[in-house]
Amino acid sequence: MNTVAKRQVMSLTVNGDTYEVLVSPRQTLLDVIRGPIGLRGTKEGCATGTCGVCTINNEQGEALLSCLTPALEWDGKSVTTVEGLEADGELAPIQQAFVEFGAVQCGFCTPGVIMSAQGLLNSFHKPSEDDINDGMAGVLCRCTGHIKVKDAIRDVVKKRA
Amino acid sequence: MHLPAHEFVKPATLAEGLSLLQSAAGEIKPVAGGTDVIYNMRGRLFQPDVLLSVRELPELQGVRSAAGGRMRLGAGSRLTDLERSPELAAYPMLVRALRSVASRHVRNMATLGGNLCLDTRCWYTNQTAEWRQAKGPCLKNGVNVCHAIQSSEVCVALNASDIAPALIAHGARVTLACADGERELLLADFYTDDGVAHTLRRADELMVAVTLPPPPADAVFVKETARKGNDFSYGVIAAAGEVAGELVTGLTLVMGSLTTRPVSLVEPVRLIATQGLTDTAIAAAAAATREELGALTNLYTPAAYKSTLARALVTEALQRLRGAAA
Repeated sequence: MNTVAKRQVMSLTVNGDTYEVLVSPRQTLLDVIRGPIGLRGTKEGCATGTCGVCTINNEQGEALLSCLTPALEWDGKSVTTVEGLEADGELAPIQQAFVEFGAVQCGFCTPGVIMSAQGLLNSFHKPSEDDINDGMAGVLCRCTGHIKVKDAIRDVVKKRA
Repeated sequence: MHLPAHEFVKPATLAEGLSLLQSAAGEIKPVAGGTDVIYNMRGRLFQPDVLLSVRELPELQGVRSAAGGRMRLGAGSRLTDLERSPELAAYPMLVRALRSVASRHVRNMATLGGNLCLDTRCWYTNQTAEWRQAKGPCLKNGVNVCHAIQSSEVCVALNASDIAPALIAHGARVTLACADGERELLLADFYTDDGVAHTLRRADELMVAVTLPPPPADAVFVKETARKGNDFSYGVIAAAGEVAGELVTGLTLVMGSLTTRPVSLVEPVRLIATQGLTDTAIAAAAAATREELGALTNLYTPAAYKSTLARALVTEALQRLRGAAA
């Protein structure tokens, strides 16, 4: 059987905006977000689910690897990317904490690290140390050593009522 | 790199999905979380004509009590949901195994059925397509050559599931459905010694559920891996039974990640069942383990390390089991 990757129109809501895009089965959610939708915050790292750099949040606000998700699987659904965290020009608490704690060096992994942290903060109001380690083990920053990243997350947790 | 060309279909019901599996012309592959299937498609290990998305089939979701104190786990349940399921709190060893899989990111996507059907892994095949091209195809690509063990006539790629040994130790059964009906078999009997056709699931079948007997009194799970997060195991062991002092009844010992199928140990179990959890019996059980594992020369670590690891895992599991009852 000779397979032709037939394109289909799908609907995807990213950060509250709904897009109708023509998508091939060969494309992942990452390809569609960065390509036709044009939001380049989300990065491709290993493309094998190991590095977590492509992390976005699913409808429940959990960490989702966009590089391993077929785009068509997400037809009619919504996601949040790093561009969707700020509101009215104000950084989200986790973004502000990354700035204050210097939890960034080269910055390439930062969108994935922040969306992993946001996924953790969406799942737990007051995550424990174990929860933080568990939530962040699937995303790799080769510059910061994760120390300042965890400091930033702990700071957001501390400031929560 | 884009995924290989294929057709993506997403049935609304199990019946529709099973009918598509039965009538498919060409290769059709079920996909749920995608963390193994899409990964392998990227590496061009899988190039199916059709991807059948079963991720949201309602019949595959959820955990519920079944007759006789059993628990039925939908094969489409995400690992994250199973870990946090109140119904599974009575199975702490299984929850430990679930939590040990890959990373939170992967467990937010990966499903129970997907984990149990994970493709086998090999140091040779699990490389880039370009890397494999240099040495040519192997048993996994339809050629009668094994690059991992050159004298082998069957594929010796390793089972990579951490959950399978835990479920087998619990005596779990799997339900496979096809358009003509369902069949149920012990998960212990689901795997084969052939890394290519490594499960008994037929191409027209879908794993729909796993059924657990009532929880054992005592159970332990030990996983050895390079790092805590995200790595495949060097080796895992799951043990279950009822321990009273040094006596243990209904013992099961299952090793994973060292061989093509998870291995239910026989002689080590017999030794402990007859002699109890004494230091001497534990040492004898550990020494009797290696012989039941067959050839050990694939992935991550050398054979001598794997032999030592197998002994250490058995010792550790049995010592912890003794401690669990104290």
